[in-house]
Parts: sequence; structure tokens; C-alpha cells
Amino acid sequence: MTRKTKILGYLQQAWLVLVLACAYGGALAGVQISLSPRIAENRRQETYRIIPQLVPGAEQEQTVELLISDRHGNPARVYQTRDAEGQPNGWVVPAKGPGFADDIGLLIGLDPPLNKITGMYVLDQRETPGLGDYIRDADFQRQFRGKAADTPIEAVKADPGEQQITVLSGATVSSSSVCEIVNTALANVREPLLQEWARASAGADPRDEAEAAW
Amino acid sequence: MESLTLLLQIFVGAAIINNFVLHYFVGICPFLGVSRRVDMAFGMGCAVTFVISIAALLSWTFTFYLLRPDAPLPTWLWQRLGGDPSVRIDLSVLSYIMYIFVIASSVQFVEMYVRKFAPKLHKSFGVFLPLITTNCAILFACLIILRNLQDPAQLWGPAEALTLALGGGVGFTLAICLMAGIREELELCDVPRPLRGAGITLIIAGILAMAVMGFAGVDQNLQDAIDAFLN
Amino acid sequence: MANGPTASERFLNGILPENPVYRQLLGMCPVLAVTAAMLPALTMAAATAFVLISANGIISLIRGQLRPHLRILVFTLTIATFVTIADRFLAAYLYEMSKVLGPYVPLIIVNCLIISRCEICASKQSVRVAVADAVGMSLGFTLALTSIATVREILGSGSWLGIRVLPEAWPNWGIMVLPPGAFLVLGLLLAAVEWWGQWRAQRMDYAVAPAMRGQQAQATGEGMEEANSWKA
Repeated sequence: MTRKTKILGYLQQAWLVLVLACAYGGALAGVQISLSPRIAENRRQETYRIIPQLVPGAEQEQTVELLISDRHGNPARVYQTRDAEGQPNGWVVPAKGPGFADDIGLLIGLDPPLNKITGMYVLDQRETPGLGDYIRDADFQRQFRGKAADTPIEAVKADPGEQQITVLSGATVSSSSVCEIVNTALANVREPLLQEWARASAGADPRDEAEAAW
Repeated sequence: MESLTLLLQIFVGAAIINNFVLHYFVGICPFLGVSRRVDMAFGMGCAVTFVISIAALLSWTFTFYLLRPDAPLPTWLWQRLGGDPSVRIDLSVLSYIMYIFVIASSVQFVEMYVRKFAPKLHKSFGVFLPLITTNCAILFACLIILRNLQDPAQLWGPAEALTLALGGGVGFTLAICLMAGIREELELCDVPRPLRGAGITLIIAGILAMAVMGFAGVDQNLQDAIDAFLN
Repeated sequence: MANGPTASERFLNGILPENPVYRQLLGMCPVLAVTAAMLPALTMAAATAFVLISANGIISLIRGQLRPHLRILVFTLTIATFVTIADRFLAAYLYEMSKVLGPYVPLIIVNCLIISRCEICASKQSVRVAVADAVGMSLGFTLALTSIATVREILGSGSWLGIRVLPEAWPNWGIMVLPPGAFLVLGLLLAAVEWWGQWRAQRMDYAVAPAMRGQQAQATGEGMEEANSWKA
């Protein structure tokens, strides 16, 4: 059998698969082109719509996304929030870490000079329903508001002090995991964010730098 | 050292705490079907571990270089062909098709290997080996790898992907051998007629899942212990 | 010329007699994973129905051109494409639900139910019969998902479809929304369906004339033992 007849033989067998592959590829490309803007918007909104809750006075649309290097040299994504006039008025730091059952995803709101925590929100959690998922409760999250951002927060059972929060019994591991994640995240990004704030106070706009980099 | 503790965390997490079968419910079909005898169950577990490792490495390679948003290969090709550099290439819509073909090919490869080098094992497996293609656990491992290749700030390397695959395979083997051991004993028991077969197996799986829940939080404490030991 | 079961036969078959979960024991992974509440279960059922009906339809249209040794490849390609479409649609229009369902939507690809229906029905019969079969199987799958989700959600969260139905005093059985609860509920419901099937078979026994009942019962009893031995 010559090589040409062999190839024709293969084509005869496989033509349907090739036609289907092209047809399905086209269909998927169409779906991707039409739906991916919506999906990207959904993903963005997931974080952005929480931002006004975390930093008082922040305008959702004015938020600037920054990619910085944290204390260990790893890339970290942070959000610089701005008010209606476009002036920077805070930071939102996403954080992730192990909880009781699976990873917990958080958003931490900070004031511009990184003195105080202005809010905390739990994005993703798979803790025990009815027990560990108390971390989703607004009362638990409100405890973080006003705490200093430069000292680690401690989780205690009762009588919380200046830099301490109470945990619900039955959710101790989940609550202390949240503390741990907040402390680690704040320690990791403190230095780079302070530098960014110094630059922003001096008048540099990270949006211009971001566009230049791109 | 930090990366080593991360690998250990991934392995222990996939094998015990978030066991693929008892926590994530993937790989249930072979779990119910092949768990009659411990030797068959162990063989199936080893085969699945082997396939899942190969599939995970291949999936990681394809996803990292080809399929994730802003992947290097398509971006380079696009620029070479003179495309507009501000357009960002995202081929991730083809991920699932790519994964299922990688898995089918890996299973085919393993089957040829087993037929050549361990013909007795191949005979005892029978139809179960090609059926590993439809084992949810392997596709699930690929999906976890995909999820961890989305955020450019925290990308998994091949080491993490392989550790996840090995952990998942070991966890699956553990679960299926446990179930096989229990079912061997169960053959001597008087199980009520409606519960025979799938019913009692699922109830036992539920009790095993409860037991595995007790391991929650072990990975975090393990990491703390290792950190304390190293510092 | 016998062409296999008719469209209506296929349709009715899929709902109870050959229910994909309770009878064929296929597609267990999503059944256990997404049934902690009714809404995710219904979304998963809808996604699976979409993939099953589309795949059956397309395969049935091209059934004349399928090469025997390449047909599994074609099935897989078709199913993977439709699952990707379903997954993207969910991420675009039902983003919160797609996050809850997570990786279980792409796992529809390896749901043995769809490949087996393509193989048994769609590749051999006309589009009408294939689609009827797909619709019947989808209804059966939905039935299975909703039955388990109902038990788990009511006992585990005191709600149904997100609306509170049990009094506040009910202590939510957390175990029901966790993995062990899934296994236990499915195992017990399977046993219940099995028991009901055996009870019905026994009742049909007693419809036979009394004189023959002794012989018949013995024979059927043995037959049932044999028929069920594969499951033991």
C-alpha cells in the first residue's frame, strides 16, 4: 500500500472526528467570545462590591488594582481604594489561608497609613455549617474593625482586650484561623504598602505606573 | 523549606483530610464496584495512582504553557504572527476537552504497559482498567490543578501538581482498601436484603467519612509543628 | 422490523424502572456532592439534562457515520463540548451558583450515565427516540437528586429551596449537609427503593392462583436470590 493510499485510508476513517473537532472548536470559540466579558465582570464584582463595606467612603469604580511584591518576594494583589474625588482613602488586602476544613478567603480593609483595620469580610469558606461558619456572621467580622494593623491580633475565649477578639465555642479553630490569616497577610504586605502610600502622598499615581508597565 | 511544608500540606490534605472519595465524593463508582477483595482493591488503587500522576503532570504542562490566561506559548505565537499585542490570549475554554483526552491517553498508555509487563495483572483487571477513564478522581485532580493556575500571583509548579496527584491516589487507595477489608468481613454477616450491595456499602462509607472528619485541622498543626522544629 | 424500544417506552423507562441513580447506580459523584440543598441540586439536574439531551440528539443525527473504533472518541468530544458550554453559561448568568457547584459541573463529562445512553440508545436509534430517552433519564436523575436534596436540606438546615420550613426550635442536623450525611441518606434511600421493588415483586407473586402459590413462590424466591446475587 503506498503512503498516499494509507493517508487517504486514515482520512476516510477519521474525517468525522476532524469535522466535529472544527465544528465544536468554532462553537466553543463563539461561547468564549460572547460570555467571557460577563464572566470576568462577575469575578471582578465579587470583590469590588464588598469594597465600600470595608473602607468607609470608598467608591467601587475608583478602585485601583496593584500587583506588589510582599515581604517574601512573592507577588501579591492589593486594591487601593479611592473616594469620589479620586483621592486614595484606604487599602483592601485579599488574604487566603488554611481554616478548619479547607482554605478561607478574606478581604481586609485598612486605612491609608496602615494604622487601623477598617473592616473584614469572609469571601470563601467551607467550614462546618452551624458551627465554624460563624465566621460569616457580621458580629464576628465587626470585631476586627478598629484593631491596630501593626500588632498581631489574638483570639481569646472571653473578655477581649485591646488587640483581641472573642471566639465562639464550637468554632474556635475556624475563628483563630481567621486571626492567623489576617496577621500573616498584614505582616506580609505592610512594608510594600507603606512604600506605596509614601509614593501616593508624594503625588505619584499608581494608575499611570500600571499603564506604563502594561 | 517553606515549599517543602507546602508540599507536605498538599499531600496530607489530599490523602487524608480532604480524601478524594470520602470528602469530595469523586471516584465513587470504582469505590462501590471494585471494593470486594483487598488485593483487587489495592491493585485498582495503584493503577489509579499511576494514571492520576501521569495525567496530572501532563495536564499541568498543557495548562501552564498553553491553556491558562496569558499563557506563554500562544502569546508568543500570536506576536510572531503579527497580532495586536494588547489582545490577551485565553484558551482556557478548551481545558476540559484537553483534560479528558490527556486522561484517556494516559489510561491507554498504562494499559499497554501493564499488558506488556504484567499480563497476569492485566487479566485480573479485565474491563476495569479502561474504565479508569471515567473515574472522576483523575479529572478532579486536573481541575484542582487548573484552579491553582488561574491567579498569576500564586501559581502551582509541577512539584505541587504531582504531590496533589500522589496524595489523591494514595487517599483513594486507602479508602478503597479500607472498604474492601470491611466488605470481606461483611460477607459473613447477615445483612438485610434491601441493604445488600450498594446500600450497606454507602452506609459504611458514611461512617468512614465521619471518621475522616476527625482529621480536620491536622495539616495546619503539622505545618506549625514542622515550622517550630525547623526554627 | 423491530427497531428497539419506542420513544415513549424509552421515556418512561428512564424515570423509575431504570432510574440512573437508584437502579443503574450511575452518576453518584454529583448526587452526593451537590445535594446538600435543593437549589444546587436543581441546577446540576438542569445542566446534566442539557448535556444529555444535546449529546443524545447530536450523536443520533450522525449515527450513520460513526466508525466503531472511534465512536467513544466522538462521544467524549461531544459531551466535553456541551459541558464546557453549560459551565460557561452558569459562570456568566448564575455566578454564585456556579461557585457553589464548583468543580462538579465539569465532572458531568465523566458521568457514566451520558456515555452509556449515547452508546446504548443514541448511536442506534432515531433522533426522536434518542431525545425521548434523554428526557426520561434526565427526569429520573432529577427525581433522584431532588429526593436526596430534600431529605438533606430539611433535616440539615430546616429549609427547602432556601425557605425555612421547620420551626426555629429544630436543631439543624449538621451531619446531613456534610459528607457522611450524603452517604447515609443515599444508602438508606437506595435500600428503601430496593425494598419497595422487592415488596412489589412479592405482591405480584400473590396474585397467582393459590394452588400454584407454593411452587411459584419457591421458584420466584430462588430466582430473586439469583437475580440479586450480583449486588451482594
